[in-house]
Amino acid sequence: MDPMEPALELHDLTVAYHKKPVIYGIDVEVQPGNLVGIIGPNGAGKSTLIKAIMGVLPLTGGWVKIFGKSFREQSQRVGYVPQRESVDWDFPVSVMDVVLMGRYGRLRLAQRPTAQDREIARECLEKVQMLPFANRQIGNLSGGQQQRVFLARALAQESDLYLMDEPFVGVDAATEAAIITLLRELKAKGKTLLVVHHDLASAKDYFDQLLLLNMRLVAYGPTAEVFTPEVLQTTYGGKLTLMADVAHTISEGR
Amino acid sequence: MEALIPEFDWQRVVIDPWTVDVASSIWIVLMGFFVAAACGLVGNFLLLRRMALIGDAISHSILPGLVLAFVVFKSLSIWVSFAGALTAGIATAAVIEFIHEHSRVKADAAICIAFTTFFALGVAMMSMLEAKGSIHLDAECVLYGEIAFVPLEMPMEWLGVEWGPPSVVRMGLMLVTVVILIIAFFKELMITSFDPGLADSLGMRPRLWHYGLMGMLALVIVCAFEAVGAIIAVAMLIVPPMFAGQISDRLSLRLVLTVAHAAVSAVLGFHLSMWLQCTTAGAMVVAGAALFVAVWMGDLALRKWRRVG
Amino acid sequence: MKPRRQIARVLWAVLLCACLMPVVAEAARISELTETSTMERAARFFSFRDPSLRYALIGSMLLGACCGVMGSFLVVRKLSLMGDSLSHAVLPGVALGFLWNMTKDPVAIFIGAVAVGLLGAGTVQWLRNTTRHKEDAALGFVLASFFSVGICLFTMIQNVPGGNKSGLDKFMFGQAAALGAGDVWLLAGVTVVVLGGVLIFYKEYLVTSFDPGFARSFGLRVPWFDYSMMLLLAFAIVSALQAVGIVLVSAMLVIPAAAAYLLTDRFRVMLLLSAAFGVLSAGMGAFASFVGRNLPTGPFMVLSAAAVFSVALFFGPRHGIVTRWWRQRSHAARVGRENTLKALYHVLEATGFETEHVIVRDFAERRRATLEEAYAELDALEKHELVTLNRDESVVTMTPDGWQRACEIVRNHRLWELYLTDSANYPADHVHEDAESIEHVLSEEAVMRLEKALAYARVDPHGKLIPGVEDIRRGQGAAVGGSTGALVRKS
Repeated sequence: MDPMEPALELHDLTVAYHKKPVIYGIDVEVQPGNLVGIIGPNGAGKSTLIKAIMGVLPLTGGWVKIFGKSFREQSQRVGYVPQRESVDWDFPVSVMDVVLMGRYGRLRLAQRPTAQDREIARECLEKVQMLPFANRQIGNLSGGQQQRVFLARALAQESDLYLMDEPFVGVDAATEAAIITLLRELKAKGKTLLVVHHDLASAKDYFDQLLLLNMRLVAYGPTAEVFTPEVLQTTYGGKLTLMADVAHTISEGR
Repeated sequence: MEALIPEFDWQRVVIDPWTVDVASSIWIVLMGFFVAAACGLVGNFLLLRRMALIGDAISHSILPGLVLAFVVFKSLSIWVSFAGALTAGIATAAVIEFIHEHSRVKADAAICIAFTTFFALGVAMMSMLEAKGSIHLDAECVLYGEIAFVPLEMPMEWLGVEWGPPSVVRMGLMLVTVVILIIAFFKELMITSFDPGLADSLGMRPRLWHYGLMGMLALVIVCAFEAVGAIIAVAMLIVPPMFAGQISDRLSLRLVLTVAHAAVSAVLGFHLSMWLQCTTAGAMVVAGAALFVAVWMGDLALRKWRRVG
Repeated sequence: MKPRRQIARVLWAVLLCACLMPVVAEAARISELTETSTMERAARFFSFRDPSLRYALIGSMLLGACCGVMGSFLVVRKLSLMGDSLSHAVLPGVALGFLWNMTKDPVAIFIGAVAVGLLGAGTVQWLRNTTRHKEDAALGFVLASFFSVGICLFTMIQNVPGGNKSGLDKFMFGQAAALGAGDVWLLAGVTVVVLGGVLIFYKEYLVTSFDPGFARSFGLRVPWFDYSMMLLLAFAIVSALQAVGIVLVSAMLVIPAAAAYLLTDRFRVMLLLSAAFGVLSAGMGAFASFVGRNLPTGPFMVLSAAAVFSVALFFGPRHGIVTRWWRQRSHAARVGRENTLKALYHVLEATGFETEHVIVRDFAERRRATLEEAYAELDALEKHELVTLNRDESVVTMTPDGWQRACEIVRNHRLWELYLTDSANYPADHVHEDAESIEHVLSEEAVMRLEKALAYARVDPHGKLIPGVEDIRRGQGAAVGGSTGALVRKS
């Protein structure tokens, strides 16, 4: 790995839902080994940004590079923790099955998980203290436990860049502490983490870099530099009504 | 292929029905229009509530009620059929609710389980009766009905005036009732469909309106069942409101468009069936669906043209 | 490994027997059979003598397996109504397949139906993407309009020379007896493709069904798997057309799968169970339709499947309604017994454990019950061998088991009260109610943790002694007579 190569590079990234722009011209370069919090008000496009990076949503403009290449070429090096509500927790799978899914990206088409994959999955479950629950159906877990399962799955991916969508929502304090410890461990191992977060108060302590988002990129940099009243005011205060209006007019005109 | 699609003979397809055999043409087209309009008007509210497939479920599930009512009371009178169908409809709703409440089976699967089982029960009973020779019922008739038999009914007489085939008169009355109810309760129906939470806060009891609508739906379907069967009834619930919804955003205009669509598709479908010599009810839906597809494609073309231009 | 191999061997033997059954007195068509009574027909069914019957049965079971497997995906992805819609939409395809050369050529009908089914699935998607109509309307539109086109085509075929004998009407409600050798070979091929596809790409289909966003994130081509799943679904639907009929195929997709969904928490197991239920109900349906003289097969298969579903719904071992009700009832009964034991303990405690037996009147007073009620409660205990009741002297004595359970319950109650007051800072008069329900459900492990957390305290917030392990082990007699037991030390 070229040490100077950014883990994630976004250039003029724009995404539109039904022709209505959700995020606009985002330019960011994230260097490897950083723990980055993505902060912004509701509807600022935080989840959209994550999904756009992974190519789940089609880009209206701009491009994404992960370690210098496109997402398709690098998908093995990206780990993902979706929002907890994004799946049906009544689905008939066990905790172990879900964590094993983290290994699927490394398996060939139609190839079965090997004993080694199971071993890795078990280790990842151990890391989030969920090994005793390995055979439980996922619906029988508490919110915090479900989030830990998702985290274990991401760990099983053994990626270099992790994208996490609101991992702290609806979890208990113990899980929250466990998650942040784990994130710091990963960072210490040189991994890059982008974490969507909604709580301003804890954001300052959790992350060493912040990405403030409100349709466009408001600020990106070390927490100490960007966590200032002015920047927060621009991000949260004065909803960008004009921008939304113009966007609407544009979409009407098309 | 020539045998399949008869030649389009203007005289036979368009002129003759309205000169030689006027009475039967009128009754068939009128019945088609009444059914499509009444179903379509109710269907508008179903579509708003994203419950289009509830119509599907109800129209299938009333069959065992109709058959049982016939077996028990040995009568095909409309009131007996109503009672049977209504009972079956309520039973289906109860079964869906029961499965959904007491197990982890999701709503969509619960609906599918309940109505297919009821329908299977109905068909099984019918075919057993048929095997015993106690009735001769065409099992396929429950799927697409026999609207062409409408003119053969004994005309209904009342106050010394001949009003026409009873099923057409009944369907006409049903349509009038639906129109009156919708005009009278337009505001309530719209708010409870659009925003049940708001309706609740305004003291409108959305659940009550929901059941009212379901009852209305069941009545309309029972009336239409004999003429168009279970599946064509679903088509008439869904296709006209989709056509209207494709054109307009406003509910009141949509309702008017629904009725217009019903009329046009009844006439077009009638002539289509004259030409192709196929089932009339099916042809009416094909015509209606074609109208929708035409508007839809027009919309797509317009959008593309605008983007280019 | 060994039992599995044996099962496989037995299955093989059964299959071989069915295929090599000596062909005696076979009837070309089932309708030519002469047996009249129901019993005779049933016996005939199980003799597997007639090839047409064998075809019907084997074909039904194959389609049951196909539908069961694909239906599982529909149920967990909440796409049941998609299955309903698609199964109706294939009708014009059947008609077109027939028109190909005006015969019921299984392959032509198969190709036509699958093609139209995929067109239907595509139309649903297209409607959702390009109009403001929601999914329910899109599904309903495809269901109704495609079906209407199909009905029109069917009635047109009736006018064509040779069309009225097409036997196409059997496609509405199904007639397993109409299956021929060609149909069964085609069905076998389709089954191999469907089961093989799911088996080979199990991992991919599982992850795209459970969490498509995650599947995309590691580079899986999710749309590709969605489309191929639609194709397999269309295969399963078309495989069932002849025997189940268009109108009820969706039931054979959804009902066995929903029954399996009620019984297991593993998707693998669900697939197997669902396929088994599909085979079972299809076989039962074929049987019922045969015994009842060529009745349409579809409705009977669906009713069989519904019966299987009802059994799962009511009597499923974990989630069954009756099972759960029974569990609750027996739990309530156990709680009642334990409360009785606790009252006996309290009576003994009040007297300082001077005697081993309790006078029934004292017990009734304690329970604020009439003597009759008290006897009823004690009878229940005696049935479970927790007490011995002496009616003549109207006294009751706890058996060693009863004593142990009574001590445990009192210990659980007092430990929990102490825990609430000590660790959760509840006032002492607020904890009794809570402890009343907790005492019956505390596990042995939880008790140990509680004891540890409370530093093995011996006195509860109300100043009463908490029975310890020694008291339980020692038994009532020793506690009463001995001099070292903690309880006695106090008295």
